[in-house]
Amino acid sequence: MTIIGTSVPRKEAPNKVTGRARYTDDINVPGTLNAVIVPANKAHAKIVSMETEAAKNVPGVKAVITGQDVSVLCGDVTEDRPPLARDKVRYSGEPVALVVARDEMAAHRAASLVKVHWQDLPVVNTIRDALRDNAPLVHEKNGEYAVATPPVYPKKRSNIADEANVTKGDADQGMKNSDVKVHVRVSLPQIDHAAMEPRIAKAEILADGRVLLHASTQAPFEVQKLIAKYFKLNPGQVIVTAPLVGGAFGGKAAVQLEILAYLASKAVGGQMVRIVNAREGDMSTSPLGMGLEAEVTLGATRDGHLQAAQMRFYMDIGAYTDSAPRIARAIAAQCTGPYRIANVHTDVFCVYTNHTYTTAFRGFGHMPMTFAIERAMDELAHTLHMDPLDLREMNAIRPNDVTPTKARLTRSNLGDLPQCIEKMRPLIDWNGGKVQSVGAHRVRVQGVAAFWKTSSSPPNAVSGALVTMNSDGSVNLSTGAVEFGPGTKTTAAQILAEKLRIPLDRVYVHEDVNTQVDPEHWKTVASLSTYMVGRAVVDAANDLIGQLKSLAAAVLRCSPDDLDYGEEKIFVRDDPSISIKFSDLALGYKYKEGDSIGGQLMGRGRFIIRHLNLLDEETGHGRPGPAWTVGIQAVEVEYDEETHQYRILKAATVLDAGRVINPAVAAGQVMGGMNMGLGVASREGVHYDAQGQFLNQQFRSYKVMRMGEQPQQYLVEFVENPQLDSPFGARPIGEHAVLAIGAALANALSRAADVSLNTLPITPEQIWRERGARL
Amino acid sequence: MMPNPLHYYRPDTITEARDLFEQLQRANQRPTYYGGGTEILTRSRLNDGDFDAVIDLKGIPELHVHEQDGSRLRFGSVLRLTELADRDLWPFLTATVDRIADHTTRGQITLGGNLFSTLPYKEALLPFLVSDSADLTVATPDGVKQRRLADVFDEELRLDPGDFLISVTVDGQEAKALAFKSFKMTRQDWIDYPLVTIGTARREDGSIRAAFSGWSSFPFTSSRVNKILSNTQKPPEERAREAVAAMPFHAVDDIHGSSEYRQFVTQYTLARMLKELEAQS
Amino acid sequence: MKSLTRPEQISFNVNGEPRDVVIYPGETLLYTLRGDALGLTGAKPGCENGDCGACTVLVNEIPVKSCMVLTPEVEDQAITTVEGLQNAPIQQAFLDHNAFQCGYCTSGFLMVGHALSQDVDNGSPERTVEWLRSNICRCTGYQEIYDAVSSVAHPNG
Repeated sequence: MTIIGTSVPRKEAPNKVTGRARYTDDINVPGTLNAVIVPANKAHAKIVSMETEAAKNVPGVKAVITGQDVSVLCGDVTEDRPPLARDKVRYSGEPVALVVARDEMAAHRAASLVKVHWQDLPVVNTIRDALRDNAPLVHEKNGEYAVATPPVYPKKRSNIADEANVTKGDADQGMKNSDVKVHVRVSLPQIDHAAMEPRIAKAEILADGRVLLHASTQAPFEVQKLIAKYFKLNPGQVIVTAPLVGGAFGGKAAVQLEILAYLASKAVGGQMVRIVNAREGDMSTSPLGMGLEAEVTLGATRDGHLQAAQMRFYMDIGAYTDSAPRIARAIAAQCTGPYRIANVHTDVFCVYTNHTYTTAFRGFGHMPMTFAIERAMDELAHTLHMDPLDLREMNAIRPNDVTPTKARLTRSNLGDLPQCIEKMRPLIDWNGGKVQSVGAHRVRVQGVAAFWKTSSSPPNAVSGALVTMNSDGSVNLSTGAVEFGPGTKTTAAQILAEKLRIPLDRVYVHEDVNTQVDPEHWKTVASLSTYMVGRAVVDAANDLIGQLKSLAAAVLRCSPDDLDYGEEKIFVRDDPSISIKFSDLALGYKYKEGDSIGGQLMGRGRFIIRHLNLLDEETGHGRPGPAWTVGIQAVEVEYDEETHQYRILKAATVLDAGRVINPAVAAGQVMGGMNMGLGVASREGVHYDAQGQFLNQQFRSYKVMRMGEQPQQYLVEFVENPQLDSPFGARPIGEHAVLAIGAALANALSRAADVSLNTLPITPEQIWRERGARL
Repeated sequence: MMPNPLHYYRPDTITEARDLFEQLQRANQRPTYYGGGTEILTRSRLNDGDFDAVIDLKGIPELHVHEQDGSRLRFGSVLRLTELADRDLWPFLTATVDRIADHTTRGQITLGGNLFSTLPYKEALLPFLVSDSADLTVATPDGVKQRRLADVFDEELRLDPGDFLISVTVDGQEAKALAFKSFKMTRQDWIDYPLVTIGTARREDGSIRAAFSGWSSFPFTSSRVNKILSNTQKPPEERAREAVAAMPFHAVDDIHGSSEYRQFVTQYTLARMLKELEAQS
Repeated sequence: MKSLTRPEQISFNVNGEPRDVVIYPGETLLYTLRGDALGLTGAKPGCENGDCGACTVLVNEIPVKSCMVLTPEVEDQAITTVEGLQNAPIQQAFLDHNAFQCGYCTSGFLMVGHALSQDVDNGSPERTVEWLRSNICRCTGYQEIYDAVSSVAHPNG
């Protein structure tokens, strides 16, 4: 068969080019009410009182809900977040009230009439503010909140929401044994996911007690569990539907609007209520990606062998923890980047600020972390006068090494970085990172950076697949993974088609996810869908083949062991002329006389992650994910020494994909990832003013890449060293192209401009400042 | 995605529109003239508008005029920026408006909308600001009046409340004789508000004029700066440095760029423009 | 003079068909198109501020951000939405070039690309880039979209 490794179009592609692809807001029930959030216009202030009468009196308004009406506290890890602010607000944009009305116009008008009397509190506006002695506290009750999923180690009477540490070997001794040390401080602002579809949720509470939720989410099963938990319902009562999602990037793994939609529906007797973010709210009210300040010290021998690493990471998590503790552990566990370092000590702090709260962002903390380590690697190369690619190759982590958390690496669970590097050299025409003059004030420079990442998933993450047969022998595939762009459903269909030896168009995928009918899938995150869903699909395919053979054996009067299959037939292995079509078995076999046996055939498949564990509290040791994807990225830039403007000429990625299932889609994922990573590094970032107000909550001020700003040339190559426990050996690749490309850009530009560019985004003004800000 | 609580009017004549404005005011409504709508709708959806009725001027033929009218180039106020660029009657104006917003949006923004924008930029003003002959044709209660642009420009175009712009004209000879450059400089992105947009023109007598947008909260030209720029005894870099030092207002400090960085960008951009302008002649 | 001060019926042509729809005077074309009466949800709200282009439709063949137009402005005019593209070459080009991932921005890009493809005589790489800068895609690397649109906007290079 040739389905695996073939570029096939996404199953839903024709719908997407005809406007027929339906997203959450494209499916509306007549009579749906609208809820609108009243956002705080203060970053840190006590709510002295609220006036809601005027809002309630607007014609069409059905309910106005405030924090006084809701006692639940929410949180992925630490339950520190009220769905509507109580007593005080902790970021500008935080929901303080919810207006439910017949139509959006009335809801908006009413929302503008809700009046809050504030008492200003000092604003914690930077990590430095937050860590000062006697700093104002974002959470007075830090350390007292219930913890939903340990571990988390908050520090009472401080703004430290959590701390994660990793120790391997003896970092102090390692530094002493080093001939050279480099020290790098990096600073990265919070960033927005900027999925083109703003977040949306709709909720309805039926008379029979069932709760129907429709949402643009990466985590329908998480929504189901959390709504059930927060509102004391049985999980089976809560039915979550996730249609096609218009981009996610981690930002739709957080559960926020779903809770508000439920509260709104509850306030109006269970009627269907829709709540949708305007772009401004999607940026400032719903969670962002974290900011980071980090210090990295690397020690190495004179010939470039890494001896020790000491690192401190301070995450600007904003006002609430959400998934930050998990991200902190992911950073700690992978802190060295894809390098063999015997002596490591790393501390990661989740720091509360009066900024918009944060959640997962494509790469789960590895993008900012990689920026820190890869800037340090380039500084080391510079100090040692070494080729930066050689330095990385020399120190690349290899099978039989252990990770910072002492997870053992094998040929299967670790991709081959040296092989990627060897492939990168000719791909980008690597010149060692030399600064080449190309005319008056213009230079061209290449920069490189490497990455690794594992899933940092919970040790009990599950996935499932259900395959039912149609009367013509074609199959339906049902999984719990959401489709938000990477072609998850198509990949699953390819795996199923390959296993059943049928054409891809004989597999029909259930596009939406419905938690009541689709098998559970943990969350569509961490680039794990191919691995987890794929394993479940293989299991389901084997189950179905077993059923086909068993029924065929009865019909063909032989043992199932005598049977093989292909071309939608079951046949006797040694005499294929004795065969029976899938279609004659799909809904049971009917004998000539009319009596029948079998019934509908359906394959069930399941998968649970194995051999993972939580990191040890003392040492931080443990196994955070099933496998580490590695790769190397490079850019070539042309930089104007007078204006400090630059153009990205080339962006290149070589990663170990294990096995590429859909080459065109995989290349698209990688190009898109590079584009996003370069956008983050070159222009993105939230601006807060001195009062903590979010200044750029529109696309005219929060800038993302547009056409013409992408690299002039994308170069994408894969190497394929299989991950043995994954379907066809495929490794996770969905997030990875964002991880190091920004660092590669910073490395190139640092060399071009002859300054250390350790603050993102790298705008021409930023370079000009670093160069001394001369007129 | 909500309808804004607006009333909509589309008059057919200048008189109808002018009268309607006063009529609505008398009825305690807050009317505003409406061209392309991009700014009014963005403000309206954020409850940032002091209007509840829009008077769409696009139904009035005189506001669509786009021609060489005798010796003058006449630009109707509801012409879309893309129409100005496609017809290219005055290349200086084309070069300037072609860098406003993005292409699709330029198909919606009108000349009048940009000139009377509440944003600081109003880049379409720049070519007119460096001309001597720019006139406005204005609808007033006493009928259609001509106003010299120089007479009504004071940080912005100041018309009497209720009056509206019909068209802008400039002398064809003057327009043709101006050698020009128009550069928009942004923080990083092609589509963004300007750090500074500079329109420079070299007149037949060799003197140079420059108008600036983005430097301060309104567009301006400065005779002092123009004098410095016109002193061809000095090299472009030196004139640019002196010009930036002589600017009549402080450079804005905002999320697009700091005040100092605006000075830096303005300086190298001016120097480059002077070199290119003088190389042309 | 046209005046609308309360919900009222207006007429225009949508995807080749004359349609009469009751609208609020202050509603945007995007709202009207997606509303129950027309149900054309191909145009997407991405920012409703004229910044992202996901809601782009054609009005008299010209790309327009439908969130930045009041519906009464387009009375009696011809509107084309993505649903009105009937096997247009731009659609196949998007399929051939994998020019989308999540698909949410796709309708808007398609409409700009379609408008470009109707004027091949003026087509050029520069023009294609300049028109496509009006839209935002967060998934792809833009190269795929550029290649797809180029293949119909300036097919000869």
